[in-house]
Amino acid sequence: MSLVMRKSPIEYFNAAKWIIRRECRYLSNLPEVAENSEVVEDKPPKGRKPRFLNPTLQYRHVYPEFLPDPNPKFRNSLREKLERADMLKRRSQVDIPEFYVGTILAVTIADPHAQGKTNKFVGICIERKGCGLRAEFTLRNVIDHQGIEVRYELYDPTIQNIQVLRLEKRLDDKLFYLRDALPEYCTFPIDMDPEILPEGSPVPVNTVQVKLKPRPWLERWERQELKGVSNIEEHLKEKDRVRRELRKTPWEKFDLMKDYRKTIPIEDQTEIWGEVYNQLQQMRVSRKKMSKQRTFTAPKTQLG
Amino acid sequence: MNQADITKLVSKLRIKVPPTHRRLRNPLGPEGRLNKLRKTVTGLIKYERIELNYNRADEARQYAERLISEAISHGDCHKPTMEIADFWLLEKELVHKLFKVLVPRFENSSSAFTKMYKAPKPAYARAIEKTILELKGNPYPSLTTRQPNNKLLLQNVLLDAAKYDYRQTKYAEIAEKMSTPEETKNPDS
Repeated sequence: MSLVMRKSPIEYFNAAKWIIRRECRYLSNLPEVAENSEVVEDKPPKGRKPRFLNPTLQYRHVYPEFLPDPNPKFRNSLREKLERADMLKRRSQVDIPEFYVGTILAVTIADPHAQGKTNKFVGICIERKGCGLRAEFTLRNVIDHQGIEVRYELYDPTIQNIQVLRLEKRLDDKLFYLRDALPEYCTFPIDMDPEILPEGSPVPVNTVQVKLKPRPWLERWERQELKGVSNIEEHLKEKDRVRRELRKTPWEKFDLMKDYRKTIPIEDQTEIWGEVYNQLQQMRVSRKKMSKQRTFTAPKTQLG
Repeated sequence: MNQADITKLVSKLRIKVPPTHRRLRNPLGPEGRLNKLRKTVTGLIKYERIELNYNRADEARQYAERLISEAISHGDCHKPTMEIADFWLLEKELVHKLFKVLVPRFENSSSAFTKMYKAPKPAYARAIEKTILELKGNPYPSLTTRQPNNKLLLQNVLLDAAKYDYRQTKYAEIAEKMSTPEETKNPDS
């Protein structure tokens, strides 16, 4: 309770709104409006029609590691193809669910030194990086007042189970600022229960804005244009504001070739998704069937 | 190994893209570099054929291609694309040209939108490599001769005339030779 009382009324209101909205989703089953880009797309354009886009391209959000590194120095079509095949093989063995930065996960790995030979860690995903078989994600949690981060490789053979406890996105692509945030924002109980979203609903975006601890910080958060932080300005001096203005790069969003060199073009992506789409779809369907079957079985009694 | 950026979808360029950008040294740094390229791209869209140094032309070509492909894929009702066009085209009437002239021109093309030629250099001199950058489908006469065997080319017309003259002189010689022995024979017989 004390943690809740310390929050400002605005944030309290935000949290309440968030909870209400989440519950409304369960009741009404209405699809939530994603805040990002769909607002623009909903309006029918007056002039030219937007071109038709291959629906398989949407898989890039769910399986970003299937796209190769855009740096031509690291491109090798044969290796990429072999890696994709290996990734599919691994996915047929272990269910790697859909998750995003901001999702709360529970990962169980085989650990020869742990009691019971397995080690389970619960935390919020603060980063997803790498491509192909080297894809990684980092989980963060605060355990016994000590912030802990564990980086897992997505296709690590020692991973036994990845369970999504709460599927949601955050406002930013990387949540490193949780390291400097108050600990209640990344404290999750180890025995957290999974929350199940209704089928076919879009992934909810959690608009919670965290509060940072006073300086010193690990990074210069004020220069990163973060949307998920509420109280950066409180901790800044005039000097920092001036330097932030000096360091701004407003021209960078117009650097068309910089964007191009960071992405995989549509034509290449269609080829890749055409290659893996069927198998991924089959896996999804079979997982759904399995999960439906599981709901009819009697719940396990929790031991210890 | 980095993950590809998935927030943006771009269509593939039909030109060869070098792995890294050129710095195009400038006191203002990356901002100055883009300012330079903005001038060049504006010039290219305006005049449709310009002569440049190779480095700058090759760099500006990539940006021009990207600008046109963005305009084709999103159209003129897409706000971010409009902002990009507004940034890259310093003369604002060219924004209309981009969406109303160039987009219909290149909409169904399956090749690159621009073409780059190497320009002639002075012989025996140290000179920077010059190139000519042009938009395809421009109203100017072509820089390359597509049919070197065309009859109506000036060189071919002159050559034909020379050949004709040569043949006429030869015929005249032969006719002379044929007529002179008869004249010499007749008085003998």
